[in-house]
Amino acid sequence: MMISSLLCNDLCKSFGKKRTKKQVLKDLSFSVAKEEVFGFLGPNGAGKSTTIKIILGFLRPDSGSIEVSGIGAGLGEYRHLIGYLPELPFFYNHLTALETLMMSGKLSGMKQKEVKDSAAHLLERLTLSHATGQKVGGFSKGMKQRLGLANALIHDPPILILDEPMSGLDPLGRYQVKQLIRDLKAEGKTVFFSSHILSDIEELCDRIAIIHTGELLYSGSVVDFVAENQNLEDNFIDIIRQKDEACCVDA
Amino acid sequence: MRNVKILGFATFIEGGRHKALWTIVAFSVLLTLGNIVFTTMFSWDLGKVAIEFGLSAISFSGLLLIFFLGLKIMADDLERGRIYMILSRPVSISEYMVGKFLGLALILLFATVILGISAAISMSFVLAEYPGFVPPGFSWQIYLMALTCQWLGLLVVLAICFFWFSFSSHSFVALIFSACSYLLGQNMETLRYVIEKNPQAGFLTGQEWLVRLVSWIFPNLSLFDKKTVAAYGLAFSWFEFSLIVVYGCSYIGLLLFFSVLLFKRKELAA
Ligand SMILES: Nc1ncnc2c1ncn2[C@@H]1O[C@H](COP(=O)(O)OP(=O)(O)OP(=O)(O)O)[C@@H](O)[C@H]1O
Ligand SMILES: [Mg+2]
Repeated sequence: MMISSLLCNDLCKSFGKKRTKKQVLKDLSFSVAKEEVFGFLGPNGAGKSTTIKIILGFLRPDSGSIEVSGIGAGLGEYRHLIGYLPELPFFYNHLTALETLMMSGKLSGMKQKEVKDSAAHLLERLTLSHATGQKVGGFSKGMKQRLGLANALIHDPPILILDEPMSGLDPLGRYQVKQLIRDLKAEGKTVFFSSHILSDIEELCDRIAIIHTGELLYSGSVVDFVAENQNLEDNFIDIIRQKDEACCVDA
Repeated sequence: MRNVKILGFATFIEGGRHKALWTIVAFSVLLTLGNIVFTTMFSWDLGKVAIEFGLSAISFSGLLLIFFLGLKIMADDLERGRIYMILSRPVSISEYMVGKFLGLALILLFATVILGISAAISMSFVLAEYPGFVPPGFSWQIYLMALTCQWLGLLVVLAICFFWFSFSSHSFVALIFSACSYLLGQNMETLRYVIEKNPQAGFLTGQEWLVRLVSWIFPNLSLFDKKTVAAYGLAFSWFEFSLIVVYGCSYIGLLLFFSVLLFKRKELAA
């Protein structure tokens, strides 16, 4: 079997102590194959961002394991393989866009010259060239999102983990990001992203995982999920409804 | 080491372009220059007043910088998830901590140098104007040594803040703890003196061991305060100076070490 780019096994995570304890992830398992575009879906509060933070090691799971390109979490360094876009990208307000990318690139082990070229290219690509020397504090939400994407891509990582890459972008920006994800796939990168925009997911993804209140409802190819003459949206809403009803019956 | 340098530099630039820094520095420059007007209101010991006043202004603005600029940068990193940008790359917690610390230390050094110069200008003006009031043993060398000690003292306070930040989950709590530790450290010497010499020190009477214990845990910040030495031109040997430097550096190292340990156990849920 080919090693998968990203593997989550029986992840459990809860927040809070005893009385206020709240289980956010329940035995979540899925795997993302190499060179595929994988969509991570779920309603608000489903646990998508939490899962992503666990993968990057910001949060520790209560149980379960993670592997990135065959490297187990805690057993080796895999962060250099990942480009990460946070849900709400936040930068040093007094650094310029270029300085921000320079810092990130260098922290990922790149040389001055390499980062400079890569940064210029990415800023151009994400139509931020005009803001290269501008302080990030003065950026609009969409501009910060674009810079966040450039920041995730600066070191040309093989795996991209993007938490809602389309949020806050105008139609043109969304189009550019879609195109970007297609190009990344063509370059042989693995892209794992969460999104609420189902049409985008349908367009871009090879496979998806759907979670709801921390439980996996579906994981597999988009084509299989979308039954004949139904679209992803209807199916998505159906599966969440069914789950909620099942819970009500239990209770 | 490379990562430490990159992070330190970024922190230095971020802080250096912050309005708070320049407001505080400008305010203190005015304060130290105000020395010239202020000290002439005294009819005695002008020289001593000028020196003490200048050094106090510097240490006060250093504290303002730590609490309003340094802590703000730390709090934003943690609470707004800015740290994700850094720790999603192959950077260790210790590199992150040391980089941040050095960046902020550099800002404090920068401010100390600017203010040290402006204070020195106003002092030399007062001393030249009223030669009769120049403290007998006064020397610029001791002034510089006192200034260095003050900077080191500020770094210890900064390291204390780092420690409390790694310890607590809310930056407000960290701020309160840091301020308390500062006050305690500042008054440690006085407290010990009072308890050892005063038989009526209330419930603390006879608790010298407790005070000694506390004074071992909390830093003795008054050690770094050499204002009087500089103002009265008292003897300040290189030996004593080196002891203070060693004490300060080891205290900072220890605090950062524990901060890293605590930080590693922290969940970074912004
Ligand atoms: N630091 C935290 N402390 C306590 N609970 C948390 C914390 N972070 C997240 N949660 C809880 O975990 C659950 C999942 O949150 P998460 O951010 O992973 O959702 P999400 O799927 O990313 O939602 P969205 O689509 O709105 O971004 C939520 O119910 C939230 O209340
Ligand atoms: Mg989310």
